[in-house]
Amino acid sequence: MNYPVWDLTTYGGGFLIALIAIVHVLVSHFAVGGGLFLVTLEKKAYREENPALLDYVKKHSKFFMLLTMVFGGMTGVGIWWTIALLNPAATSSLIHIFVFGWAAEWVFFVGEIVALFIYYYTFGRMDRKNHLIIGWIYFICAWMSLFLINGIIDFMLTPGAWIENHNFWSGFFNPTFWPSLVFRTGLSLVLCGVFGFVTAAFLKNDKLRQNLMRTCAAWAALPFGIMLIGGAWYIKALPEIPKMIIFEKSPEIGAYLTTLGWFVPILLLTCVFMALRLPQSLQKYMSFAVIAIALIYFGAFEFVREAGRRPFIIYDHMYSNQVYVDDVPKIQQAGFLANAKWMSAKEITTDNQLQIGAELFRYQCSACHSVGGLLNDITPLVKKYDNVFGMDAKLNGLGKLNPYMPHFFGNAEERNALASYIVSEINGIDLSIPANPVVEAKELPLEIPAFNKDKDEYVLLAWNNLGMHCISDSDPYWVLLPPANDLFAQLVKRGDSPEIITEGVEIRYAVEKGFEFPEKQVRFWEFADEIFGAELRPGVGLSGKRLNGALDLDAEKRAYEASLIPVVPYPSDGSFNPYPIFTVTAVDKDSGEILATTKTVAPTSTEMGCKNCHGGGWRVAGVAGFTDDTSLDVLAAHDKNSGTNLVERAKNGQPMLCQSCHADPVLGTEGNPELLNFPAAIHGWHANFLTDREGMDACVACHPSRPDGPSQCFRSHHSMFMDCTNCHGTMEDHALSLLKKEQEAGKKGAARLMAGLKPRNVDSLEQINGRTPWINMPDCLNCHEDFQMGMTVDAFNTWTDGADELFRNRHDMMGAMMCEACHGSTHAVYPATNNKLGANRDSIQPLQYQGNDRPIGNPCTTCHTVQPEFEGHHPNSLRL
Amino acid sequence: MDFAALIPTPDAIPVDWGWFYVLLMVTFLLHLLVMNAMLGGGIIALFSLFQGGEQNNLLGKEVGYKLPYTIAFAVNMGVAPLLFVQVLFGQFIYSSSVMMAVWWLSIIGLLILAYYAAYIYDFKFDALQGLRTLVLIFSVGILLFIGFMFSNNMTLMLQPEKWVAYLSNPGGTLLNAEDPTLWPRYLHFVIGAVAIAGLFLALVGHFGFTKSKVDPATLIERGMSYFTKATIIQIFIGLWFLVALPKEVMMVFMGKSAYGTALLTIGLVLAVALVYFGLKRNLLLTSVVALIQMVVMILMRDLARFAYLKPYFHPADLQVTPEYSPLIFFLVVFAIGLVLIGYMIKLALGCKKEVA
Repeated sequence: MNYPVWDLTTYGGGFLIALIAIVHVLVSHFAVGGGLFLVTLEKKAYREENPALLDYVKKHSKFFMLLTMVFGGMTGVGIWWTIALLNPAATSSLIHIFVFGWAAEWVFFVGEIVALFIYYYTFGRMDRKNHLIIGWIYFICAWMSLFLINGIIDFMLTPGAWIENHNFWSGFFNPTFWPSLVFRTGLSLVLCGVFGFVTAAFLKNDKLRQNLMRTCAAWAALPFGIMLIGGAWYIKALPEIPKMIIFEKSPEIGAYLTTLGWFVPILLLTCVFMALRLPQSLQKYMSFAVIAIALIYFGAFEFVREAGRRPFIIYDHMYSNQVYVDDVPKIQQAGFLANAKWMSAKEITTDNQLQIGAELFRYQCSACHSVGGLLNDITPLVKKYDNVFGMDAKLNGLGKLNPYMPHFFGNAEERNALASYIVSEINGIDLSIPANPVVEAKELPLEIPAFNKDKDEYVLLAWNNLGMHCISDSDPYWVLLPPANDLFAQLVKRGDSPEIITEGVEIRYAVEKGFEFPEKQVRFWEFADEIFGAELRPGVGLSGKRLNGALDLDAEKRAYEASLIPVVPYPSDGSFNPYPIFTVTAVDKDSGEILATTKTVAPTSTEMGCKNCHGGGWRVAGVAGFTDDTSLDVLAAHDKNSGTNLVERAKNGQPMLCQSCHADPVLGTEGNPELLNFPAAIHGWHANFLTDREGMDACVACHPSRPDGPSQCFRSHHSMFMDCTNCHGTMEDHALSLLKKEQEAGKKGAARLMAGLKPRNVDSLEQINGRTPWINMPDCLNCHEDFQMGMTVDAFNTWTDGADELFRNRHDMMGAMMCEACHGSTHAVYPATNNKLGANRDSIQPLQYQGNDRPIGNPCTTCHTVQPEFEGHHPNSLRL
Repeated sequence: MDFAALIPTPDAIPVDWGWFYVLLMVTFLLHLLVMNAMLGGGIIALFSLFQGGEQNNLLGKEVGYKLPYTIAFAVNMGVAPLLFVQVLFGQFIYSSSVMMAVWWLSIIGLLILAYYAAYIYDFKFDALQGLRTLVLIFSVGILLFIGFMFSNNMTLMLQPEKWVAYLSNPGGTLLNAEDPTLWPRYLHFVIGAVAIAGLFLALVGHFGFTKSKVDPATLIERGMSYFTKATIIQIFIGLWFLVALPKEVMMVFMGKSAYGTALLTIGLVLAVALVYFGLKRNLLLTSVVALIQMVVMILMRDLARFAYLKPYFHPADLQVTPEYSPLIFFLVVFAIGLVLIGYMIKLALGCKKEVA
């Protein structure tokens, strides 16, 4: 941001430096070892008085001069040229920190050239001893060049104490200096043998050629030990994080590591092979093959070393994209534009948003990512982002959970501009089309069952215990929640003292027409055996219930329940309807007489926004459901980040239940005790991508609560003045409350997810009360103290003590009526008029029994034929 | 637009800027000498080949022997001043280089080609026959192109007011071609190179460092002739360059600064003296005065740089974070290097005598 950045697109991502550096390092290391090779062989020729060998040394020295001095020397300058163009800030840093190191290296460079010219041009004309001295001076100068540059290159990966003291010598003799010097010295000796093959293979003198091939083979093979010892020492000397990035985390290093693993032995074996007495034609070809092998080997090493430094160009000092570590706080505070030079504008407007986005890409991404090029092409990496929100979330989470990427540097507006640029310009998505369609409210026909207040003897109350049951219909790949709605009912016999009927009746349920055959809509039944170990007949739920049947008595609750009914939000007409209606009927077991009939919704949604970030789009009606692409990408991300093989399993027909590893109280799974529980893991992970969001923006990204979405699960009157965060906290708070409990339980994974999260509803992490998901929940009474009108809308951070205190499980003070029987489901407590499919859909029973949309018992005479004077259900139930 | 706002914040330096200034001047002089011998030598060889005739061809061959050395050392001696200019003016030269990155990076690939072409010209001079001219045109043409790129960058780096062009063209293809000083500056360097290379060849002839069978006396005569003619042209180009400078820069040499004015005056006097000595074919005196003249020119060049950058920056503004031990280390290495090089040259010269 301090310097202009060359807009390279296709040739970005370090392509140019890789191109020039790999060939240079091969030749430059040869330039070091080759010096020793020349003087040693020259001395041998003198000792043996072998003019043919001496002649070879002279010829080899010409090859050596033309290769190392011209190509090696020029590409060396070329590296400097290139880094100054690709990363001027880092180049400037290295130049200024090590100016006298470079200057000293230049002296040795001059010495090398003078020595080499004299060595070659006086060959055979200078006194033997003096000529050898010149050769030795060359070698010493070349090795000193290596010595000096080695210190500076290693400084970039391991600056060591320099970070604290900024001392030249601390930076130079950094933690990997010596091991790297040993490694590179060994390598340069190996290479002089490798390059020796080329000149030796073309000798016409058969005996000399075969001798020299063996000599070169020895030169190449013997220093392997030095090189490998140096390499092992180097790895040992690496700090933990780069080591982890190289060997575990980096998505780009794996292939290079594998290449290294193969090509080190291949190089050694090929060099040994060259010692055999081979025909000259084969020797000629093989000599170039050995160089190619060496080039691949060393290229792979350099890629690993460079990528191991991610996300820095100078570790802990400057990021790859030229941002100083010390500058990050002020950028995060005031924004990138406020701090960067070379931007075309200081403010983002509607008109310049994409332009600024393009510039942000150039300044923050292009150092490592090409656009459509060979190296680190950004195109496939962002392809799945078909909307700005998802891309923005990805940028939001960069560098937090995987240390090989830097954070996005800038404020939310700038991040959005970058995301908009990527989605619009790189992915070619029309930003004027909303990623998720705005779904207008549409009233579906609904007939409220009749009730004659004067004649009817029974009040049948039925409800779904969750305000919304989500389903992941990603069955062939994984399952997070199966189709499994729980219907409850209580039958009240009206009277002066109403009575809850739990005997002699049968409560039946039947789904509305079109929803009877869920097995035709989702593939759950194909995989239920693999995922749940339950052999289910199509259409039968996990507890044996179908879409029509009878509720079972739960005597303790004094209620009837049909659990795990496999409802899906897909009627047979191919549309999406998250609020199917069930008709519930109470029948006298003996007479078969219908005692009472009512209806209730079974809220069920597949509007889970995984696709917003994982791509793939919606499967059903353009508004809901999991596509194969979305489902696979979720697994691919999990595999990448957690080292699992879920994609492979899924492709082998073995999808998994997420909660089989990550425990979850709501499904009753115990999971792997070392792993985070499911809600902590999923919220903790994704919170890192969804920080500092307004209101419930983060929540609606995944849950079906988008106000303009097809489900809009928060339907009660509370939604008029509250959102998800009032009770659950912001994404960060919510995640932290779950993670904190896991951390207290000794789960190792919690700290990593918590590191990037800051609480928002409270001042510090200490103030967050950890909680067990589905057990410790916000309670209605947090606001409605003593059942009175709520005076606050802050229910976060005070949790129910146990499952029996949950609104969905609780009874009134008499232990008679369940809270939900009279108040409706969670998130849709009466009055709940904000249902997308009709204002009456969530209030059928109040409308049926009372003619209003208030909680049941308003008036009391709904059940009590005589107005009670005693508040039996709960304080304030009579509103006295 | 506030152009100064574009200028990157420079890094701190470890010792007083004066050290780097001196090192820059000294190493740039070395680079200039070798670069002139290389570029000017190549141009002279081309002219000679065009003219034809035995001595001209031999002159072309003699240059051929020298070309690989001079390219190697021109690059080698260029490393140090480029290092020190990055230390003192990094925020300017990195920025301008990025703006013309495509051109700037092409230098490396082209230089390798020119270098190998020079070796082909050297090693295969006789075998190439008529093709040798084409090979030399290729090599010298590239060197001239590289020089032109340097002139572009060295002028673009001094003018942050032109950098705003980057905002609409970040692709690295900008040049500073419309700058009125560009052509006179470039020609000033090229013609100067011909003059100094002429002297270089004359000195080669004078001290018997010829490798071809070229007649030393002819070499001295041709060399001095090229020097003199080029210097006469150089006076006019220099004046063109002077008047093309922005007024505030030009005035530094025209009365505003006593030091600048003195340098220009000395330069003009020395130029006339050089023409006189050249016409007189007084090689050694000409060489000594030419060396002084080059020092004067280098100091003037740097004064112009300061004048250009005056609204924005002076190296004295650089923050110093004192650390002297690396400087001492360098000076020791430098001294050892000089001794080693001296020793090697002694051995090489001794060897020449033995062979002779």
